[in-house]
Amino acid sequence: MKKRHFVITLVLGISLFWSGSAFANETLPSNIQWLSNDDAPLIGSPDAKKGGTYRSYLTAFPLTVRTVGPDANAGVRDAILANRLSLTTIHKNTEEIIPELATHWAYGEDKKTMYFKLDKRAMWSDGEKVTAEDYQFTLDFMRSKNIIDPWYNNYYTEEIDKVIIYDDYTIAVVSKKALPELHLRVTISPTPRHFYKGSVPKDFVKKHNWKVVPNTGPYQISNIKKGKSITFSRNKDWWAKDLKRYTGRYNVDKVIYSIIREETAAFEYFKKNRLDAFSLALPSFWHEKAKNMEVYTKGYVKKLWFYNDTPRVSFGFYLNQDLELFKDRNVRYAFAHSIHMKKLLKDVLRGDYTRLEQSTIGYGKYTNPDVKARTYDIEKVKQLLTESGWKRGPDGIWQKGGMRFSVKVVYGYKDYAKWLVVLKEEAKKAGLELNLQLLDGSAFLKMVSEKKHEAALIGLSASLRPSYWQVYHSDNAHKPQTNNLSNTDDPEMDKLIDQYRITTEEDLRVELAHKIQVRSHEIGGFVPTFVRDYFRIVYWRWWQFPKVPATKLSSGAFSAFGTGIFWLDPEIRKETLAAMKNGETFEPELIIDKTFKIK
Amino acid sequence: MLISIFAELLINNRALVVYDGEKVYFPTYGEMIPGRQFGLDYDYETNYRELQLAYQKSDGPEFVILPPVPYDAYEIDLKDGRFPPYPPSFADRHYLGTDVIGRDIIARLVYGFRICMAFSLLLLVMNFTIGITLGCIMGYFGGKFDLLFQRIIEIWSAVPFLYIIMIISSVIIPNLLMLVLISVLFGWMGLTWYVRTTTYKERAREYVLAAKTLGASNSRIIFHHILPNSISLIITFVPFSVAGGISALTALDYLGFGLPAPTPSWGDLLQQGTSNLQAIWIISSIVASLVVVMVSITFIGEAIREGFDPKMHSTFE
Repeated sequence: MKKRHFVITLVLGISLFWSGSAFANETLPSNIQWLSNDDAPLIGSPDAKKGGTYRSYLTAFPLTVRTVGPDANAGVRDAILANRLSLTTIHKNTEEIIPELATHWAYGEDKKTMYFKLDKRAMWSDGEKVTAEDYQFTLDFMRSKNIIDPWYNNYYTEEIDKVIIYDDYTIAVVSKKALPELHLRVTISPTPRHFYKGSVPKDFVKKHNWKVVPNTGPYQISNIKKGKSITFSRNKDWWAKDLKRYTGRYNVDKVIYSIIREETAAFEYFKKNRLDAFSLALPSFWHEKAKNMEVYTKGYVKKLWFYNDTPRVSFGFYLNQDLELFKDRNVRYAFAHSIHMKKLLKDVLRGDYTRLEQSTIGYGKYTNPDVKARTYDIEKVKQLLTESGWKRGPDGIWQKGGMRFSVKVVYGYKDYAKWLVVLKEEAKKAGLELNLQLLDGSAFLKMVSEKKHEAALIGLSASLRPSYWQVYHSDNAHKPQTNNLSNTDDPEMDKLIDQYRITTEEDLRVELAHKIQVRSHEIGGFVPTFVRDYFRIVYWRWWQFPKVPATKLSSGAFSAFGTGIFWLDPEIRKETLAAMKNGETFEPELIIDKTFKIK
Repeated sequence: MLISIFAELLINNRALVVYDGEKVYFPTYGEMIPGRQFGLDYDYETNYRELQLAYQKSDGPEFVILPPVPYDAYEIDLKDGRFPPYPPSFADRHYLGTDVIGRDIIARLVYGFRICMAFSLLLLVMNFTIGITLGCIMGYFGGKFDLLFQRIIEIWSAVPFLYIIMIISSVIIPNLLMLVLISVLFGWMGLTWYVRTTTYKERAREYVLAAKTLGASNSRIIFHHILPNSISLIITFVPFSVAGGISALTALDYLGFGLPAPTPSWGDLLQQGTSNLQAIWIISSIVASLVVVMVSITFIGEAIREGFDPKMHSTFE
């Protein structure tokens, strides 16, 4: 009866008041085995000093500080979400499960349910206690039509089944499907029920554009200057500040994001000491603009080159196999052999990037190291195409019947043109004509997701574990709005993927993943390009780091709300500023960290 | 202008003449000749610069005559251990250096100029055809037709041309003809307006009345009396229209909404130049070329204006 009641409330979008005790009649299974993990290695340094302000920038002022609903998917959303703790999280170096808002957890026998004991010390930034109800409210909130966010509506209905409340500090979160590594799916974060007074208002989207929601993390938005800056300040009585796992973390008092609309302008701001760090990912910055800048040669700023080890974006050419031309496997192979990545990497990208060997890179043991990308080879192209009955035409391009080996490559970023023209010239030598088409970002995405492209140069973002169904399964081929951009439709592949999806045993999953990668290479619908396995930045010398300045999964060193392990040394700052005034210099310093570099 | 039409003979990576000991080849125009033909070990287009070096070493009767600038506008010339843009160098025969990808700047300038001129001349012809025809009809016949088209022109002129063209070219991939058509779509109004006014004025003059009383047909009056008298106005617009066409295409390419990469274009060079000020040879060549072309067009315009000065050449037939 209670459950019925619950469903009806949902449908009407009206939340009636009921307390957590309404579910008190649910009882915990008796054979539960509680787990915890308080001994994970610390990532922060015990020497870290608290205090100071970190100054960063955004290229556009966010349209809202909501994290759901229209226009929310940009701006400072990541910063806001990083300050909302979840039940558990994973360790950024070891990838083991560690506590956040729950102290203990346990897996149910059905592989769908995970039980959590909540941390009784946990408090919202407005001083209220975090209780079981707040987790139930996350579901109510995310399922509400009033947030106008179909993706979240769907995710919290189709993926998360329900939250069961046993008492104020014990809950279970149930997934719709049995899953391996269940914790990656069900560790939801709470939503402050008291703040929303138990329901999501009809005009939520409008009313909450600039409302700061109580959170559970170390920082909270303290100042919004519309069009100019957003400031995060430390939560004064953050409930977890003395916990061992947060030793030496979240050291600065304030983080200011100013709006600077141009990268090059931001770089000038950095050099004038109005920003604390600047990313030098682009070769043009690292090799030219920042190479011999005065603040570096005089030693006022330091450079850091850090190799990380995270799942890599599968950036490359997705060949549409619905196209007559690409139905022949030899032609797909020939395309891959006509792409001269080596030249591009060496002569244009200055060796800053490495070849992406296949689509599953950076997934640890899930990656099959034996799968290697096809390399530029004119002879192989000749052999493959002659085998399929092609001949070189008078203009040097391969021909067969009425077909020419000419492919339209669509891409969505102007910067890619610089790389593509090099590949185009080299491909011509192999007898492949590439026609380049730059499309406006949204027009590009539309074309690709409707599978109207011939070949698309695009990077598909990576999740923590490889997910093959969306990219290679025939369920997603030949129809719009799916990620199977190569229209791969292969019965053997389907079989492997189906198995991979239902297997919960890790060793078997790894083995299947390896097989899928081999099969995907055999199909050849994806031509991988390159990958960057590091980040590099320049920062003022008063910023200090632990011995290892970032984590395995880090994409930057100044992650104020994620790892937050950097700190400001006021003595060095004073010394440096004085030196700059008096014209004294320091030894320039370039730190290269290879702790997580894959050999 | 003339030079750019035969640019293939001056600036090209294909040789002008090749003699391989048996036969003389003229590779400039025509199909590509694979390297194997000259005893090289590849099937793609012969690299004539390498062939020349090889022939020079071999002491035989073979020879290769290359154009003065032996590079194509699309060809990427990368040097070992150095990264483009390369500064001007006589040894490499990149007399104005290369752009950020390693393509010869002279080649891109000249071929870009040719495309630019083709664009603006096509644009000119179409705009003038539409402008003169509609303007004459509106001015000569007047009445409801005139009234209707006046309003249409007023409304149509209010459409922001550059934005429209950006939106359109982000959806479809424009080729040269497409781009001309889009520009004509939003560019025909200017001249129409002027031609209408002069026709209107001329129609009321005595010589037209005289022709009418003598029984001349409408077409005779328009073509033999009114048009010759308004020609000075039309002609003076030509150079400025060309200049306008060049700057429009350059602006579009600069913003990345013009012709697709890697078409040689001035806008693209300008964009590269402004974002790579340390490579001063890019920005200086393109700015100098723009200034020279624009100034000479203006001078030509001045000369034409003087040549057609109505005070000196009034034709009252």
